[in-house]
Amino acid sequence: MTRSPADATPLVEVSQVRKSYGSHEVLKGIDLTVYPGEVVALLGSSGSGKTTLLRCVNLLEHPSSGRIAIDGSPIFDRAADGHDNARIGGREVAAMRSRVGMVFQQFNLFPHMNVLANVMEGPRTVLGEDDASNRARALDLLAKVGMAEFADRMPGRLSGGQKQRVSIARALNMRPSLMLFDEPTSALDPELVGEVLNTMITLAREGMTMLVVTHELGFALEVATRVVFLDQGAICAQGTPQEVLLHPTNERVRTFVNRFHATAELMRPLLQT
Amino acid sequence: MFDWSVITQNAHLFAWGLVVTLEYTVITCVLGLIIGLMIALVQLSPIKALRVVGRLFVEFFRNVPLLVWLLWSYYALPIFAGINISKQAAGILALSLYGGAYYAEILRAGIQSLDHGQADAAKALGMRSWQAMRRIILPQAFRQMIPPLAGQTIIQMKNTTLLSVLTVPDLLYQASYVSSFTYRPMEVYTVVGIIFLVILIPSNYLARRLEMNSQ
Repeated sequence: MTRSPADATPLVEVSQVRKSYGSHEVLKGIDLTVYPGEVVALLGSSGSGKTTLLRCVNLLEHPSSGRIAIDGSPIFDRAADGHDNARIGGREVAAMRSRVGMVFQQFNLFPHMNVLANVMEGPRTVLGEDDASNRARALDLLAKVGMAEFADRMPGRLSGGQKQRVSIARALNMRPSLMLFDEPTSALDPELVGEVLNTMITLAREGMTMLVVTHELGFALEVATRVVFLDQGAICAQGTPQEVLLHPTNERVRTFVNRFHATAELMRPLLQT
Repeated sequence: MFDWSVITQNAHLFAWGLVVTLEYTVITCVLGLIIGLMIALVQLSPIKALRVVGRLFVEFFRNVPLLVWLLWSYYALPIFAGINISKQAAGILALSLYGGAYYAEILRAGIQSLDHGQADAAKALGMRSWQAMRRIILPQAFRQMIPPLAGQTIIQMKNTTLLSVLTVPDLLYQASYVSSFTYRPMEVYTVVGIIFLVILIPSNYLARRLEMNSQ
């Protein structure tokens, strides 16, 4: 599929976004644009601000200042002095979120509903959709993530990988034009990471626009169309995965990538015995 | 030494008193829960002034003895507000508000104890906060709150006995009436105690079963 940024409206436009908790500045003036069809991996060590940035995109976190527009519509615009340049109400924010799917590190499935009800919940409550078409679509999505036979299960009786696949189906049932992933495999046992990554790869191949906070360098290298590297609240490198990860010019990125190599090296003797 | 004829001969009075007690329990619990839910939501509101109002409400009722508040509602409120209020209305009002303050604390704690991720997930789907509250937060919070809510409801039933000071003809009022002309307080109040035990012990047991089933 073609991913030609130049002639399309950006799906995500983040400019000069700052976020402070008290005197600690987590995001220091971030500019980030995501075009339709892009798969952008947000990398960086913990505390670099990547999760905060992701949560700012759908306003689960409010920036201290800056501008954010989704699909051409401004949803946040606050000047550095704290003055709101645009009054954007709860209704508009909710409408924006209904078109942006999100997958969480801790899955956050609704434990009082079974798997099928979880997937149907968004369209049912937010869009007021009738049951029949919603149910049919939900079952299709569950089949797609390999969870069709678990439709009647309660989330408490699923493995982490299964929960995460259901949560992807739940987000997709809103038919989003953008998917946000917040460390979707970080809470999983190593042997369950693959099944979730596979689901995400399928989604990327279908042309879904994705913004993914991850520690999976392999995923970033193979699937991302662009890698954005954050360090201490600022973007310190971005480009194709090959440029950024295989030929890092930035010192921070080099240290980060080398640490992964070093871990692999350390593991080698352990694996051979 | 027990003279049970005192009880059997006045059984209709006890029965009638019990009906009144149960009536007031149900009414003040339902109203108390509604008030409690409103106050809990007010306390969780993003608007600070509302939170302060909610806090004051709870603190007021938690720190004024129920009997004082009950008597004040009946004797002083009409003078302050310039309205005439029946003893039934005064009793229901006082008990519902009082119970509401305690229910509010239980509900607020239950809502706040819920993992933030649940609200995040609901919002991320595009739910407004009231939709998230109705579909996601409250159904889960209520489940966790069954034991404390049941406990408060049992206290509420016991508290209705205080209505007898307003001469509302509840079980305790009828008992003191029977005792006043039979001069047999021992039998009369023993029976009142037994009636409460017989109703409340199974209620407690039921609440515990509900709690286990919901987990």
